[in-house]
Amino acid sequence: MATTTGSPLSALRTRAYRLVYPRTEVDREHRRVVALCLPFFLLATVAAFLPMATMARASVSVGVYENVGWTGEFYRTLVSDPVYREIAVNTLWFAAATTLVSVAVGVGVAHALEKYDLPFERGLVAALSFPIALPGIVVAFLIVVLMGRSGLVTNALAALVGGDPFSLATATTVFGLFLAYLYSLIPRSALVLRGTYSEVNQDAEEAAQSLGASPLQTFYHVTLPQIRPGIVASFILTFRTALTIFGTVLVLQNLSLATLRIQHEIANGFEVQTAAAIGVIYFAFMLGFTYLGLQYTSAEVTTI
Amino acid sequence: MTDGTDAAELRTDGGTTTGSRTVLGRFDPSAAFGRPLVVGALAVTLLFLLVPILLTLVASFASDWTGILPAGFVTLDNWRHALGIGLEVGSRRGVGSGLAFSVLLATGGMVLNIFVGVPIAYAVTRYDFVGRDWINAMAILPIAPGIVLGVAFLKTYPQYAGSALSLIVAYSILKSPFMVLTVQSSFQSMDLRQLEESGRALGASWLRTFVTVIVPNAKGGIMAGSIITWILAAAEFNFTWLVYSRGPKPFSLFLYSNITRSPILTAAAAVSIYFLIVTVAVLVLQFVGGTGFTTVRREEV
Repeated sequence: MATTTGSPLSALRTRAYRLVYPRTEVDREHRRVVALCLPFFLLATVAAFLPMATMARASVSVGVYENVGWTGEFYRTLVSDPVYREIAVNTLWFAAATTLVSVAVGVGVAHALEKYDLPFERGLVAALSFPIALPGIVVAFLIVVLMGRSGLVTNALAALVGGDPFSLATATTVFGLFLAYLYSLIPRSALVLRGTYSEVNQDAEEAAQSLGASPLQTFYHVTLPQIRPGIVASFILTFRTALTIFGTVLVLQNLSLATLRIQHEIANGFEVQTAAAIGVIYFAFMLGFTYLGLQYTSAEVTTI
Repeated sequence: MTDGTDAAELRTDGGTTTGSRTVLGRFDPSAAFGRPLVVGALAVTLLFLLVPILLTLVASFASDWTGILPAGFVTLDNWRHALGIGLEVGSRRGVGSGLAFSVLLATGGMVLNIFVGVPIAYAVTRYDFVGRDWINAMAILPIAPGIVLGVAFLKTYPQYAGSALSLIVAYSILKSPFMVLTVQSSFQSMDLRQLEESGRALGASWLRTFVTVIVPNAKGGIMAGSIITWILAAAEFNFTWLVYSRGPKPFSLFLYSNITRSPILTAAAAVSIYFLIVTVAVLVLQFVGGTGFTTVRREEV
């Protein structure tokens, strides 16, 4: 270490001094790293850390417009009121179920793209990546185009089985919302997995194959263990995305989820402390979940 | 599909194309049906993703949609309606100024992201330091959902949460992971240490090396990241919806009012405007060496 004497405080002071006036090449490298990270942290402080801290303070504040006094009332309501418990359950099972399906489909899609020589592969990947650019409200509209009252699937079904399109429309049911989530999530999970797939050791697969393993056995025993970090990474990323979807739910309005509730609290009577409390729980949950997830993989696997 | 021509070739997915038998001659269902099943899943997925987009684009030129497919082509009425062209009064006035406002916001967010994202991407790719993994995770994972950040902004900057500056700053932090990931991907394909040392050996300072050697070498990635963050900021809805109060209407709110309140064909035209913007972006991204709307870059290929 730089200093041998004194308290941790003076050691810190020496380190700060060395950052500004570096003496060795190591000091200079430290200064470069700090300088390179500084713009991001300035932005994060103004646009994330400070607002999030203020929001956390608001969630335990008595005042609505100003942060004064302390109360745990809003968290107590969240825990005791069955309405909020139902929202929590809905949010979790829905995000988990859509994530599981998306990751499973993503494995298949990534496998087909990376392992088979398909024609127009670049075009296929570009098409697969297109939905990532679409905001949730547009995804909701696309589901209405398919499953709404004048939708393609609805009317095709009505023509086939002879029913009323109005009763066959599923866009505004939980099933419609499920499909909308899959629409947003599958491209994300598939592209994360595609990155992992490109690093799979093909020699091992060929060896397993020539030893007589069937394609399924090869996949299960050789490929799957190699793509496991990618599966974990895509699970983390997809689950996080599923939790943050809001526009889709706002348009389709078919399940009471936490993001929708936050907007409801703000729009109806400006219940900002309750909204803030939900926000804090959301943030804490995502942080904890991501931390746990990253124990099983490295963030470097994450590419979209 | 190309199979059938290379009959006995070993495949790395474990299948052979010699019918339904493995190398040892056993009948195996996964050799027989595995590949068609997986390719079928890919096809169904792509149809699910693309059919509604194409249908929307087609429907935007139709005059009627009561049957299975839209009918009555070709009309530009839906587009005219969506854009508010030829209407003197009503809520549709000001679409143009809203679009211009969104272009301004998205560009602001993008520029901010270049200054914020490129340096941190370089730091975590080039150097090894205490807490590197944590800083990396923080830079490539969105810090908070847009709607939660919206509540935080309403509380922290009550008077200014809906202002242009607040929107630019929020778009920047919400979309910065895409910039960092794309630029990182570019940096990873470069020999950064060697580039840096060459620059230094020729007498340039570290700062000059970074600005005149490293950054220009990563310009493909920076361009791709800029396009992606620009598009995502231009269509950001969740944060915008929560903090918006007055002034020109950002593009995403224009989309929302069309989707929820307009006839489906007008909404289709409004959404198609956005599809066209994204299509142009994807084509440009292909051109600068990317693989579509992704942060993965394959410049060496």
